[in-house]
Amino acid sequence: MAVSLTHLEKSYQDPSGKSFRVLGPIDLRIETGEFLCLLGPTGCGKTTLLRILSGLEQADSGKVSLGAGRFGYVFQQGALFPWMNVESNVMFPLKAKGMTGSECRSRAAEMLNHVGLYGFSKSFPHELSGGMQQRTALARGLVTEPELLLLDEPFASLDTRTGINLQEMLRAICGRLSTTVIYVTHSIEEAVYLADRIVVMGHSPGRIVRNESLNLKWPRSRLSSEFTEILLSFRQTFEKLVDPSATLSS
Amino acid sequence: MGGRVPSGRFTVDSWQKVRNLLPGFIIPALILIVWFFFSGSTLLPAPDLVIRILLHPSEDLLSCGSLLWNTGVSLIRVLLGLSIAILLGTPLGFMMGASQRFRQFTSVITELARPLSPIALLPLSIIIFKDTSFTEVLGLNHLKYTRHILNELQIGMVFILAWGGIFPVILETMHGVRGVRKVYIEAARVLGAGKLFIFKHVLLPASLPDIFAGYRMAVGRCWMVIIAAEMLPGTNSGIGYLLRYSYQLSRLDVMLACIFIIALIGLIFSRGLELAGEKWLLLRARER
Repeated sequence: MAVSLTHLEKSYQDPSGKSFRVLGPIDLRIETGEFLCLLGPTGCGKTTLLRILSGLEQADSGKVSLGAGRFGYVFQQGALFPWMNVESNVMFPLKAKGMTGSECRSRAAEMLNHVGLYGFSKSFPHELSGGMQQRTALARGLVTEPELLLLDEPFASLDTRTGINLQEMLRAICGRLSTTVIYVTHSIEEAVYLADRIVVMGHSPGRIVRNESLNLKWPRSRLSSEFTEILLSFRQTFEKLVDPSATLSS
Repeated sequence: MGGRVPSGRFTVDSWQKVRNLLPGFIIPALILIVWFFFSGSTLLPAPDLVIRILLHPSEDLLSCGSLLWNTGVSLIRVLLGLSIAILLGTPLGFMMGASQRFRQFTSVITELARPLSPIALLPLSIIIFKDTSFTEVLGLNHLKYTRHILNELQIGMVFILAWGGIFPVILETMHGVRGVRKVYIEAARVLGAGKLFIFKHVLLPASLPDIFAGYRMAVGRCWMVIIAAEMLPGTNSGIGYLLRYSYQLSRLDVMLACIFIIALIGLIFSRGLELAGEKWLLLRARER
């Protein structure tokens, strides 16, 4: 499912009633099956962009075209429902769409297998580690086999090792289901590891400063020279964003 | 997921629990001893007189019916008033929590009515409802001169109980609904849930602990209100009535027995509901 944004703009009002723009005019197109990382420092409006895409917020002007079809969403802190066990959490989107009974159950079980949570279906979120909670959240986002998956810094609160495991898993599942993915992150390494294409956003107002497809083969190694080269070039873009006068000493 | 020790009927754990409870009984025991030694030289009746009354709860007292009957009358009044409070208060609280316009619409009347003691409404409710009981409302006039529980359920009593119970229910429900974290509702929305589905599967379970807390407060308030109300004109049954009547006849043994029962039932209400709340997964709705 191709996604296209044309001339998207969004402003907020601060408490004193003054309006300030969080998203400058943004034009972006995402191809079907593409894994896109939206990379940017905190406050650049990347989450807002995701919320507009999902319909949680409305843009002031411009056009969003999602094509047609289902989308999944994974929140930063998982946002699992603490009063439901893992299985019920994963079945939630299916049930919300009116699916019932055994089909629901078997699809949830299948997705839980994919994310490596076999045998935890009756556990409650507070009984799981952070990594397992995010696996559950992923399963919940993917259980409807969406054509488009939106993720808002899903692994930011995890330790590095767990985060890397989950990144590999996410890539594998989305590849298998040929899901179009928009992945919001502030970690350059995460973006370079995951993305087919990286869109770097700058702030005040949020705008696209760099839009580049990565020429890296799979499987990717974080230690290869190509990887570090690309990482470095994006780090330079990033440093300039945060402090325009800064240049990297090396 | 703490591993449970496979248990017989009485494990080391339960002994430990009993031992933890024991210190709490020291003061009551001391009071009992002091009471026992001084009851002869004061107005207080000896403890064994009171204990005898408590041990024979179905014996008639002061020609007012037994302790059991009067306690039952009070309890059923409370349950009736409470049910009305819950049935009306929960949906009202929900609407006030969910809709800002409805909250503004009802704000003045709830703020005015909430601090008003239900007892203050008793005379008015007697004027309005007279001593009409449910026997008359239901048209069961043949029961009128028999001893039947319906004769003791006066509309006025039930009204002030419902009044006393409804505000904790409304307010706690409202707080519960307003306190549901926005991210749960947003998550439900982006996962494709409609309004009704969100209400049933997100709003309701997420606010359940608060709603339940409201019910607990309502039970406690209703129990206090009924005792006070029964001591005033408007009825001639119930544990509160028995308590006041024993005062008029200077029967302190009956009075103390009544006080003990009132305290005991209050305890059962609050502790019982607390345990029930913990048992039904309600606390799972809390972030841990």
